Amino acid sequence: MSAAAGFDLASIPERIQSEVQRAIQRSIKGVEYIASSGPSLGSTPKDILHVRGTMNLYHYRPMSDEIYRVPILIVMATTNRGYILDMVPGQSFIEFLLKRGYDVYMLDWIAPKPEEKSLRMEDYVLDFIPDCISRVQRDSGETDVTVIGYCFGGVLSLLYGSIFPDGPMKNLICFTTPIDFREMKLFQNFSDRRYFDVDGLVDRVGNVPPEMILSSFEMLRPASRVASQVQLWDNIWNDEYVKSYRMFDRWATDTLPLAGEYFRAITKDLMWDNKLFNDTMSVGGRPADLAKIKLPILHAVAEHDHIVPYDAAKHLITKVGSSDKEEVMLKGGHVSLVAGANAIKRLWPKLDSWLGGRSI
Amino acid sequence: MADKGNDPVAIWQTMIGEMEKGFNSFANQAMASPEFSKVVNQVGGASAGAQKQLGDLMEKYLVSMNLPSRAQMVGMAERLQSMEGQLNEIKAMLHQMQRDAGAGDSGAAGAPRPPRTKRPPSPGREPK
Repeated sequence: MSAAAGFDLASIPERIQSEVQRAIQRSIKGVEYIASSGPSLGSTPKDILHVRGTMNLYHYRPMSDEIYRVPILIVMATTNRGYILDMVPGQSFIEFLLKRGYDVYMLDWIAPKPEEKSLRMEDYVLDFIPDCISRVQRDSGETDVTVIGYCFGGVLSLLYGSIFPDGPMKNLICFTTPIDFREMKLFQNFSDRRYFDVDGLVDRVGNVPPEMILSSFEMLRPASRVASQVQLWDNIWNDEYVKSYRMFDRWATDTLPLAGEYFRAITKDLMWDNKLFNDTMSVGGRPADLAKIKLPILHAVAEHDHIVPYDAAKHLITKVGSSDKEEVMLKGGHVSLVAGANAIKRLWPKLDSWLGGRSI
Repeated sequence: MADKGNDPVAIWQTMIGEMEKGFNSFANQAMASPEFSKVVNQVGGASAGAQKQLGDLMEKYLVSMNLPSRAQMVGMAERLQSMEGQLNEIKAMLHQMQRDAGAGDSGAAGAPRPPRTKRPPSPGREPK
């Protein structure tokens, strides 16, 4: 073996051959990529239990001979589709829960229609969530329900839990849920009350368009889209990489519009007045005091979350009144915490070990 | 094989990663300024307004071309959704009746539901 200036000369022909093969593969797979659609997502068998406006309630068909007594209701973030938790078989959080013996329901959202621009925070917290919980109770025959909220779904679940502290929520699990909105620094700056005319925007456009939501997320990491496309081209010979890229890219760009009044309330109450952190939040005139939440609670946060940084999320556990509470920080980002290879080995088993004993 | 430090492909990938990090960090600093917020909100507000006006104009154009407007399509979708909703309600009622009649606990898909008797695996035992 010879080495010059640190190079292994013997490996050069092998390397060239490998790169030529990859270049050929890139051309073939590149054409395939353009000509084909991505993998089918969200295909775990389910039944639609209820549909009302922007709200969809699904029940996933059990995959285990025996299930835990307490059903789970997942409350999805209102900006994104629920299939992030049900990507493809083998990479689906829902499938994982079903196989581990949980009975799973999901409150998912579809785009609010123009006439739904008047939906307010109270519609989500005092109507949609309680409605879904009572439907889950009726369908499952159980009084207790575990709620899992992802991102802003976690905020809605916390608000619900603080207004209805006596149940029927039995356990609450939040993923990357912000409490101190001052710490979402770039979002704070984008919505600076001196320059951001939220009233003018909502009055003019009604529902806040998904492009605006998406571009505000993408602005947090402006170079990442271009870099990810360069990486895709590099790895386009690799079927697994391409499949994963397509799944996540499709989900990330499949952003939902937000109902105008709801967006107005988020901006004013949370982004501007930081009411959840300041313990002054109320929904429909009902105080939402996190200290009233006494049930078992798990908060999973991501070490490299650029959307909800740890400083924005860390107060959840200190603010709730529960004695049985735990925060777990796992490697990963806002999305890789809950989906993909990282989640399969970190979050999912952790959640199962925490929830199993609390679901009987 | 060349070690990773000398592999041109690995160097390229690292360079892309570093450039991405560097640019994101630089842009984040720039975006944290009040001036940025002022400009972006002026532009964003204007473009959202223009987009809305364009949408309204397009709707009028479609109507004049005797094509279904977005509002009409939304109306149709709503009616379909309402029918779907009613079907789901009927389905749920039928299953409830089936359950009440003692035909066994049945899932919404009609398949029997498993018993709610599961217990967590004992410590050290790997779940299936």
